[in-house]
Amino acid sequence: MTPSDDLSALMARVAMQDRAAFERVYHATCAHLLGVALRILNNRERAEEVLQEAFVNVWHGARGYNPSVATPMTWLINVVRNKAIDTLRSGSSERRSTGALEDEAFEVRADSALEPQQMLDDSLQRAHIDACMQTLNAQQRQALALAYYRGLVHTEIAAQMGAPLGTAKAWVRRGLDKLKECLGARGVTA
Amino acid sequence: MNLLQPERLERLSREYVLGTLTGRARRRFERLLAEAPLATRVVVRWQQRFDVLAAGVPPVQPRDQVWQGLQQRLFASGEKPAAPSFWARVQALLAPRVLGGALAGVLAATVVLKLQPQWLELESRSEALPQSYVGLLINDAGQPALLASSRRHGRSITVKLLQPLTVPDGQVARLWALPREGAPFLVGLVPARGSATIALTDSAEKLFFTVGRLALTIEPVTAGADAPSTPFVASGHCVKLW
Repeated sequence: MTPSDDLSALMARVAMQDRAAFERVYHATCAHLLGVALRILNNRERAEEVLQEAFVNVWHGARGYNPSVATPMTWLINVVRNKAIDTLRSGSSERRSTGALEDEAFEVRADSALEPQQMLDDSLQRAHIDACMQTLNAQQRQALALAYYRGLVHTEIAAQMGAPLGTAKAWVRRGLDKLKECLGARGVTA
Repeated sequence: MNLLQPERLERLSREYVLGTLTGRARRRFERLLAEAPLATRVVVRWQQRFDVLAAGVPPVQPRDQVWQGLQQRLFASGEKPAAPSFWARVQALLAPRVLGGALAGVLAATVVLKLQPQWLELESRSEALPQSYVGLLINDAGQPALLASSRRHGRSITVKLLQPLTVPDGQVARLWALPREGAPFLVGLVPARGSATIALTDSAEKLFFTVGRLALTIEPVTAGADAPSTPFVASGHCVKLW
């Protein structure tokens, strides 16, 4: 039985309101999921709130989970990412309405700009597609990393990288095309 | 605009999963996802591709209070202090009337509550019942089976089973919303007995504004969540309580 099969069996029990199974799913996945939320929100307290909110949804089976469509981890990561992105965006709008905080927010982002690229490199090596993805230039890779790991939108990527909006969009698009191509070549969701 | 046109669907799906689809376009696409299994399949393929990127994120152990808080929110009896007494009273009011046979339906309860607010000890309060969406589901035997209520601008729905459900091993009870036009969408899972609070993906106002009925199925846990796969075991009107 693979870890994914194990989680699938636990999720089926969670759907039937089995608290012990719910606790096992939480402890098996919470560290990875908090890592995902924390990279996007850059604030531990908010990331933990998102994690807790996500698991409330998991318990109630909001939107349903269908094991024949996605693995539990795929589903869980996306529940957490979507909540983190929603939280980030609502926080961004608050910041925009209070100009004094805006500079501070951008400063945090600029200092940590290298970290997403490191995570992208690590991920691509694990998936053995780093060589294939090398055909992307540094800016294309950075744009993709900022969008995925930081939850930045095109305008924010353009601002952070000092590029026109259209260029930033094209970098992300090229990164996604290449990711699909490289994973397809390795037989992953071609 | 046909959002299911293949190239457009591919572009929207990957931007949705990545997070660069924003604002109203993002909400519009989420509504499409609830209705179009094809869109769900394309989205899941992109989620699987991005799983590869998530693998490089360093894990961070949450503090113990996250799990403790979760247990408190989900399993503590005082999760929604106001709800049980409210429902207990509504149920007490409904039971003789509905079981009496003639006035099955939440409209009757609404009228009763509006005409006789003192029955709910509301006279001492300065405001009426909160603006809510309310549903009363009747089973095949004509008995009230489930009460559902969500505050108009809330993001959760409270359900109370008025009759225990028989849910065989490997199956789950699912609550569906049936819009006046368009396909049913899943509200969430309900327990076989007792009460539960189900988190909603959006405000009740956005989700239920066009919903005319609610319905309950009991179906295999492996059944797809995009459409009911078994006949309804109970159903009833979804009305606005304001």
